Amino acid sequence: MMPAVQLATLAVIADGPAIDGLTANGLIVGAILFALGLAGILTRRNLIVMFLCAELMLQGISVSLVAWSRHHGDWGGQMLVIFVLTVAACEAAIALVLVLGAFARTGRLDSQAWQSLREDNLPRVVDHALPSIDTAAAKWPKLTPAGVLPETDEDELLEREHV
Amino acid sequence: MTLAELLTPGRLLAGAVTASAISLWLLLPRGRESGTARWLGTLLGIAALAGLACAGRRLGSLGEEGVFLTVSLVAVVSGAATVLTRSPVYSAIWFAMCLLGVAGVLLVLGAQFLGVATIVVYAGAILVMFLFVLMLAQPAGLAPYDRVSNEPFLSAVTAAVLLGLLTLSIGRLSAEPVSAAPVSAAPIAAVSADPLAENHVARLGAELFGRHLVSVEAAGVLLLVALVGAIAVVSRGETAGREGSR
Repeated sequence: MMPAVQLATLAVIADGPAIDGLTANGLIVGAILFALGLAGILTRRNLIVMFLCAELMLQGISVSLVAWSRHHGDWGGQMLVIFVLTVAACEAAIALVLVLGAFARTGRLDSQAWQSLREDNLPRVVDHALPSIDTAAAKWPKLTPAGVLPETDEDELLEREHV
Repeated sequence: MTLAELLTPGRLLAGAVTASAISLWLLLPRGRESGTARWLGTLLGIAALAGLACAGRRLGSLGEEGVFLTVSLVAVVSGAATVLTRSPVYSAIWFAMCLLGVAGVLLVLGAQFLGVATIVVYAGAILVMFLFVLMLAQPAGLAPYDRVSNEPFLSAVTAAVLLGLLTLSIGRLSAEPVSAAPVSAAPIAAVSADPLAENHVARLGAELFGRHLVSVEAAGVLLLVALVGAIAVVSRGETAGREGSR
């Protein structure tokens, strides 16, 4: 059998609690998800994507909690995950209302639209090299035209004006 | 010097962390699209994942290992795609995929109820709410702020260092006594010895509504307060807007 590459040999102090393989791997998956969410929430500027990244971090935490719960043979971790789910639902409801309010005021989902709220000693973020043209063109599926063009209702077009 | 000697665990982990930092940095939106950066980033990301997979421990049987590797790969790859995709709608859909993977990981770890609840509550309710809001508040085309990111290099390095430290400490936790038997011997018995597996959901319910009853009540009040709060924010915002326009 191939010599399994073990992080165990890294250990300076080898007297930590021995955990089984599945628990350790679950903890690593949780760590990866948490790190990805952290990178996302630090970099992305879309408010909703930032929110999704926070949820990604919560997922990483949930995986870690379940792994620890399994390790200890205790229900505490799983209970905590249930309450994490509850709090995530509340948080999503409140935050999406606030995001919609922010969008209604600025017309953008950009977190930098609110940078006037920053501390005095922080520099203003200015987008110098913002590409004006969307270089990544969307690839839509091509549908064959079918039927006749419906008559346009001008009143309806007025209703759609703001979209 | 053979390959196994060259790839000490420490070097492997350092390499994986470096590769993940560079690949995150290359793949994060930075305005200009570049094909080579994307390919290089993808390759480095695969290398980082392979390194991290080697840092994980061997499980008992091949089937178990395969199942765990599959679900965790689904979770991690689509989680990365959630962070890296330009379009927020695609981001949300990748997050749904990531939730499926996470639910699989939870199932493998023995949390059956939580695996199902994650799909029902997250993918079924929270994510649909996200998509609703995205559809309500989506400007035409890809917005400029979706194509740039704040401090991509520093953030990628931060995330990779955090990942490296966590993996290192997890590796330390799994340290067995130096003179222990070969590692492949132990886990087979350990996997089937999950003390929470027997009669799982009934015991989880008993624990939830027994020992944690007060917390359940508090969570119910929290949900109600969030509901009322969300409605209050919306209606106050509307009246304020109307008064402002007069």
